[in-house]
Amino acid sequence: MGLLSLLRKLKSAPDQELRLLLLGLDNAGKTTLLKKLASEDITQTTPTQGFNIKSVQSDGFKLNVWDIGGQRKIRPYWRNYFENTDVLIYVIDSGDRKRFEETGQELGEILSEEKLAGVPVLIFANKQDLFNAAPASEIAEGLQLHTIRDRTWQIQACSATSGEGVKDGLDWVCKNLKKK
Amino acid sequence: MRTLAKFSGKALKTCNTNPDIEHEARVPRKILKCRAVSREISFSSVHAMEKFRLEQRVYFKDRMLEEWFFEFGTVIPNSTNTWQSLIEAAPESQMMPAQVLSGNVVIETKFFDDDLLVSTSKVRLFYV
Repeated sequence: MGLLSLLRKLKSAPDQELRLLLLGLDNAGKTTLLKKLASEDITQTTPTQGFNIKSVQSDGFKLNVWDIGGQRKIRPYWRNYFENTDVLIYVIDSGDRKRFEETGQELGEILSEEKLAGVPVLIFANKQDLFNAAPASEIAEGLQLHTIRDRTWQIQACSATSGEGVKDGLDWVCKNLKKK
Repeated sequence: MRTLAKFSGKALKTCNTNPDIEHEARVPRKILKCRAVSREISFSSVHAMEKFRLEQRVYFKDRMLEEWFFEFGTVIPNSTNTWQSLIEAAPESQMMPAQVLSGNVVIETKFFDDDLLVSTSKVRLFYV
């Protein structure tokens, strides 16, 4: 795993610049996931008060992963980062059942945005290592993901801290990138 | 604006960016053996910006070795943001030795809001 190996896999189409956008409520685990992708130490993560970007370049091919803070006061700015997104990755804290409704609403709003029309979406049901984590199937049902018909989508159970499921999600991203 | 530069996870310098001051950074020379090197810049801004971007250039003496342009777009007011770039290292055969590079490599990062130069940061690297 790791961003460099992801980039190598994607390199079949050269001279591309790819943009992955990570969104989700605060404390969903977006930054931890980003760090995991970059094979970084993830013992310390503080709430993101803005954005974190990781860029990887190899032979003229660029991959940029954007992680935008999920706090309520930051969410109105999300739309400023939609443009040119190739794949949206939406992260959910599977243990935070109280906020499933809130996260569902936010996801619904994002998916109705014109700038993200047709953009494939991967939903990470994160924090599966928690004892009270809802399984991905339950989240899919709660969020009525089956009603998404205007794009390809996938829900993937994962644990950003252990890394479990993260690679499967990325494999899906690789397969579903639109050819430019 | 405040910026902080990191090299493969190690913090180098916190600085109130001043274009006239060149900062020095000491990095372990074994970094030159790494297959990939990451550079991270962290910046905070009180003000919102709409078309924030940077131009980063790496110089050896006066020759430019590498440049990277990056467009951030919106900067949220009172935000702290990070940008990490990961670069695959040149093959070891093409790598200049540490004693040649040391003190002669400067990383210059210019920050713009659209065409307005907001700040410049210069860091001279010493491989120790």
